Amino acid sequence: MAIKRILIVEDDRFIGEMYVRSLKKAGYDVDWMVDGNDGLIAARNKPYDLMLLDVMLPERRGGEILQILRGGAQDLIPGTKVIVLTNFDQTEDARQSMEEHADGYLIKAEITPKKLLAVIEKMSQAS
Amino acid sequence: MEVNDTKKAESEQVNRFWPNHKRRIIAQAIASQIFIGVIAIGAMVFLYPSLPPNAWMLLIGLSAVALIISFLLILSAMRPLKDLSAALVHVAGEQSALTPPNLNDDRYQKNHLRPLLKLIYDIATSQTDSTHKIKGQDSSLDIPAQLNHTSTGVIMLDSNKQIIFANKSAPISIDAKAYKSLDLIFDVDPSINDWIAERGQHDIHAEKVWRRVANKLTGEPDRRLFDVYASYEKGSEAETIVTLFDRTSEYQPEDDDLDFIAFAAHELRGPITVIRGYLDTLNDELAAITDPDQKELFQRLMVSANRLSGYVSNILNASRFDRRHLKIHIGEQTVADIYSTISDDMQMRAAAQQRLLSVSFPDSLPTVAADLNSISEVFANLIDNAIKYSNDGGSIEVSAATNGDFVEVSVTDHGIGMPANVIANLFHKFYRSHRSRETVAGTGIGLYISKAIVESNGGKISVKSVEGHGSTFTLSLPIYATVADKLAKTGANNDVFLERSSSGWIKNHGAFRG
Repeated sequence: MAIKRILIVEDDRFIGEMYVRSLKKAGYDVDWMVDGNDGLIAARNKPYDLMLLDVMLPERRGGEILQILRGGAQDLIPGTKVIVLTNFDQTEDARQSMEEHADGYLIKAEITPKKLLAVIEKMSQAS
Repeated sequence: MEVNDTKKAESEQVNRFWPNHKRRIIAQAIASQIFIGVIAIGAMVFLYPSLPPNAWMLLIGLSAVALIISFLLILSAMRPLKDLSAALVHVAGEQSALTPPNLNDDRYQKNHLRPLLKLIYDIATSQTDSTHKIKGQDSSLDIPAQLNHTSTGVIMLDSNKQIIFANKSAPISIDAKAYKSLDLIFDVDPSINDWIAERGQHDIHAEKVWRRVANKLTGEPDRRLFDVYASYEKGSEAETIVTLFDRTSEYQPEDDDLDFIAFAAHELRGPITVIRGYLDTLNDELAAITDPDQKELFQRLMVSANRLSGYVSNILNASRFDRRHLKIHIGEQTVADIYSTISDDMQMRAAAQQRLLSVSFPDSLPTVAADLNSISEVFANLIDNAIKYSNDGGSIEVSAATNGDFVEVSVTDHGIGMPANVIANLFHKFYRSHRSRETVAGTGIGLYISKAIVESNGGKISVKSVEGHGSTFTLSLPIYATVADKLAKTGANNDVFLERSSSGWIKNHGAFRG
């Protein structure tokens, strides 16, 4: 299943706009939520192919969102891939726990939109 | 002071007892005799007014004899009291006119006072002895109980390395089988258990100190930091004695500083993300309309932003390492794959500074056990240094070869090189040589953290340099096949997306070292 619809949950306006811009330019269908609550609601209400999830979010942290969506007995978003995108230096336990429920974990400062597109393309082909 | 004054007053009262008591008894005796005499004479005058003078003389004489006899009786009755008082005054340590009774005197044998005096002297002697014993050593003193009152941890191990004693402050854990073990996280070699295990083979007596040893990981509740002193004495009942000084209050503020660094690094990464992201985007989008000059400016901006990102990673890693919290994610990697994650960045950095970067790894190179992210940062640090410390137009070679159980990766430049005294300090934190401070930008943290990362990966880092001719930095990484068994035991093999490697979280990186 090729990736088409993408949800970005990111509270930093500059970073959010940057990803939205490059993803839209590459032809993806993009929704952007700036807080954790809206992000969680959007992820449950619309069938996205991919969610780009920040960690340090207002209302609900990324870890909490991932726990709700994927931590229970049932995967609430079986059709959605999740890439955690953060600049926060989490404790190893927190990071490990998020990695277990996510399909990718990237440090924002270490990738550019171009590299992110390459990762999404690779993920799209693999699935 | 108050206690001493009270004791002195009590001793003086003991001393004053005898003279006071003697005066009182004699006064009472005289008063009672006079009283009886007066009554007797009065009664005789009243009953027998015409008594002949001889009878009066007899009566007065008898009264005088009775007075003398009663006096002698009183003195005899009071003598033991005097001796007991003298003995008590003597043992109370007071100066006195009374001579202390001599137990060997026959008198005391005859009047049966000897056992009483002996008892007084014995009690006094035993009290003096026990005072000395408390000051020194006393088998009746409950030392283990007393040790629970100190904040210093004390642990004793027997010759079988079993904990035979631990006081309340000692950080030990007891498992379901009542097996006691030291609850400390040793990040350095040897750990205390390794050290103890090695004693006895060569040593009769040995001592070792570990500083800043935590009982829990950063962020866990009740985390304490200790300085640990171990002493070993072969053949002793408690062969190893470990003392632990709680230095949490001293070391904790330093940890808080490091938390601040981690937080500041997070804040720095936000703008770096945007700068790098848009530079990359603009570089692509404006490619058609920028001239070569402008393209070079773009490249310099991108190189600078990438370096900034690298510095932040180095600072974060150093902060984690200093908190003994640098964890790595060891998996099977090829050297070429590790390099490929930084290849574009490095080529761009070399090109931006007119250096020729040539990289070649033989196809036959075995896979290595390494943490992809942190080792690629080490590669970047070494190559970036080679770029910085070489001359315009200079070449930099990156190569790899097998050496024993290790793969060695070398980064060679033909730049300014270093004298021997600089090499000695090169891997120290914040060290920058006098010349590099003047000519090249940097934080002095790159080689420090590179060494820490390589060693955490079970490898080594070294340098050869000739001043004026360039330097070669070499890092070694264990060949995967040589450590695969040990790695498999240390953690689960979870495949992580975007990495073809398996992963295992390893606390003690020395565990799989060859």
